[in-house]
Amino acid sequence: MRLIVNGRPVDADPPGHQPLLDFLRDACGLTGTKRGCDRGECGACTVLVDGEPTLSCLALAHGCDGQSVQTIEGLGDVDAPHTLQEAFVAEDAAQCGFCTPGQLMAATALLARVADPSEAEVRAALSGNLCRCGTHPKIVRAVRRAAATLRTGDAT
Amino acid sequence: MTGPNRRFVSTTVEVEGRVETRVVEVPAVTLAPWDADAALTHVGARAQRVDGLLKAAGRAPYTTDLARPGMAHAVFVRAQVPRGRITAIDTTAARAMPGVLDILLAADVPARTRLFLPDVTYAGAPVAAVCAETLAQAEAAARAVRVTIEPGEAAITPEQALAGAPVRPGLTSNQSGGAPKVRQRGDVDTALATADVVLTREVRTPCVLHSAMEPHAAVAEWSGDALTVWESTQGIFRVRDGLAKALGLPVHRVRVICEAMGGGFGAKNYAGPHTFTAAVLARRLRRPVSCVLDRAGEQIDSGNRSSTWQRITIGARRDGTLVAIDLDAIIPLGIGGWDGGPGDLFHELYACPNVRTREAFVYTNTGAMASFRAPGHAEGAVGLELTLNAIAAELGLDPLVLRERNIATRDQKQDRPYTGNRLAECYTEGARRIGWHDRAGRTVRDGRLRRGFGVAAQVWGTGGGPPSYATVRLNTDGTADVLSGTQDLGTGTRTILAQVAAESLGHRLDAVRAVIGDTATGPYSGNSWGSITVASLTPAVRMAAEEARRGLLEAAAGILDVAVDALETREGRVHVRDTDRSLAFGEVTAKLGNVMIMGQGARGPNPSGTGIVTTGAQFAEVEVDVETGVVRVVTIVAVHDAGRIVNPTLAESQLEGGIIQGLGYALFEERALDARLGLPLNVGLHDYKIPTHADIPVIDGHFLDGADPLANPVGARGIAEPAIIPTAPAIAGAVADALGVEVSELPLTPWRVLGALDGASR
Repeated sequence: MRLIVNGRPVDADPPGHQPLLDFLRDACGLTGTKRGCDRGECGACTVLVDGEPTLSCLALAHGCDGQSVQTIEGLGDVDAPHTLQEAFVAEDAAQCGFCTPGQLMAATALLARVADPSEAEVRAALSGNLCRCGTHPKIVRAVRRAAATLRTGDAT
Repeated sequence: MTGPNRRFVSTTVEVEGRVETRVVEVPAVTLAPWDADAALTHVGARAQRVDGLLKAAGRAPYTTDLARPGMAHAVFVRAQVPRGRITAIDTTAARAMPGVLDILLAADVPARTRLFLPDVTYAGAPVAAVCAETLAQAEAAARAVRVTIEPGEAAITPEQALAGAPVRPGLTSNQSGGAPKVRQRGDVDTALATADVVLTREVRTPCVLHSAMEPHAAVAEWSGDALTVWESTQGIFRVRDGLAKALGLPVHRVRVICEAMGGGFGAKNYAGPHTFTAAVLARRLRRPVSCVLDRAGEQIDSGNRSSTWQRITIGARRDGTLVAIDLDAIIPLGIGGWDGGPGDLFHELYACPNVRTREAFVYTNTGAMASFRAPGHAEGAVGLELTLNAIAAELGLDPLVLRERNIATRDQKQDRPYTGNRLAECYTEGARRIGWHDRAGRTVRDGRLRRGFGVAAQVWGTGGGPPSYATVRLNTDGTADVLSGTQDLGTGTRTILAQVAAESLGHRLDAVRAVIGDTATGPYSGNSWGSITVASLTPAVRMAAEEARRGLLEAAAGILDVAVDALETREGRVHVRDTDRSLAFGEVTAKLGNVMIMGQGARGPNPSGTGIVTTGAQFAEVEVDVETGVVRVVTIVAVHDAGRIVNPTLAESQLEGGIIQGLGYALFEERALDARLGLPLNVGLHDYKIPTHADIPVIDGHFLDGADPLANPVGARGIAEPAIIPTAPAIAGAVADALGVEVSELPLTPWRVLGALDGASR
């Protein structure tokens, strides 16, 4: 099978039953995508498949054949962060940080659909992404801050 | 810090609500405290979390992300019955499965690990570990292990345990200590007999699960006879010592590392079965082994907050003065744990001369409790505060006024003053922020959507104490490292250590890095628990940085040919006072080559004869749909007095986090047990509901300005646990206010809300 991972084509032949999460973490070394529950309940493993937020622990790697997968590493990195990542830092929207990549990927999908999401829209879009540290207020603020930055066009 | 000037003295420290006496070392140096008016640059600033971008980029190195070369994966086989004896374990099929490398049974592990014991004492207990090349192979093989257990009589409830045989071998009584733990001051019976009003209430609080997003995890790797373990932990040194003891290793052969960890909340304080399993397998296989709990294992077998049954009797005078508080409580601990009960809070939250608590801590055949953010206090606050609301109603007093009339101005537990307690200001400021005194116009007691208000208070010992050590060293380019054997749970420890060091050095914040989370590189610091890290460790960091700064000034004085006294440091430069002459730190260190400027810091003892606490009040506004029973929390206002706040942004994050966990405790969270098997039924994050984005109210969190220079030289106290204590009782009080009906059991699920209404209408 061939899929595009963070913009780069990857040819692989993973076991037929291998979840996308394991493929990304173990075969691709992309550990930014977290395993929080392995049963589609916590959202920590959220990635984008053809732009759609997807629980990678429930998706099969083979099911993504021919599709484009974006992980947190593809959103931006420490030396070239995405506007959303910068907003998360500015608003202190990561405490332990374990759910953060999933929150960011869900937020990325939201901002691709809605340029100026209301607080309620952000909450609805991210409600499948659990956070036990209780960072929710700052996550919502960070997403809206990033949306505002992206709208003014001076985004990175 | 050894030398002719060292002394050893006794001091009291409070950890997780327990007061302990310890012998400590008094450092040769004492620091002049930073008082409330101290002119500080970095301390108190809203500095960005230093590892925030690493986390937002998905690059923070969690234990569960480690992939050491050749790493194998271990998983547990767990008992599915609560009590019994293992008569056979058939591993034949499992051993033949693809990728299987090893299977650990009781005979394969050192006895001190207490792993895989033949007596099964709770459902979910590990009975074997399977190790394979991949996690999927290990999980598949674990399912093929056939365990035969001869079932025994289990005690799932405390009532069953108190009436039955010992729940585990070696116990003579299923009650911790053999009898209830009774503590009394004054004469409760006489005071109740003469009180103007006496009310008794029964309150139940649920067993709740920590549910950290990153499960318990360890990766073990041997190099010759030395063991390195990466662990998701709140205490690298405790894990190190636990490993050394269990495996019979000298401590200097064990190194424990925790770079980033995905939440602990009290459940990750010790080495556990997963730690020992990874270490033993890694030695047997001579390759690195990872052992990570799956989500079900995390929810079943990593600790919980005990449920409680509380019967509270309060006596008061007509004017609201409390004269007696009496508590009877039953606290099921599960198969193990410690006596962390609701009683402690009853002795200290309100001024009252006569207080008695009687707590029965009962072992049962269920998973063991573990400290969970404000253990005991969070439970006790529900019973105490709801009963106080009943007293207020009985006396026709505003619940806030009743509380304001009974503020504890002294530490009544130990009959001594507090270093500071501004709870009265917290009440006033919180009431102002939520509009408490004009709430009548916003209270709705008819129609479908009712609206009500509640208030609750908090006290928690947050003085911290020794031992806690730090080293500050200047590098050749003038940048600085802070080394300490602490760890950052997500609280921001790295950031505040850098802030305190930068402040004390007179350095730029971005030129200081905290190197933590490694027993091999940092001097000892204790577990990150009990809200004590800031108060315990930052004074040591300050001392180390000031010593390093003195060294730097001496070196600079020589270069500049001036007296040391003529020098000061600001933002990474040494200035000659009242002149424009200055040197960058790097210019000084460049002259030193590899001569190291290094400072050592040790935490001194707490002041004797005083109690150190964080206090606060929280106010809740809720909306209740009386047709569905659904409660929506509209607003939480929180005002706390925690002394100096080193970083307001990080402190607010923790405050919001405690409130949101408290909201889950109030409304959703409850471990459901199968009554016969004692097996938790809601082991996933779908069935065990924690708050999500959709549940979050407006949170107005505020800390009183100021500092507590009597507590320690930085003037800071803790905030993590104070944040959760008043939330649930404030919400429950608000629900009762909205319904006009008392509530007595958490969580306030729709079913219970409708039940409370139903009971009232009958």
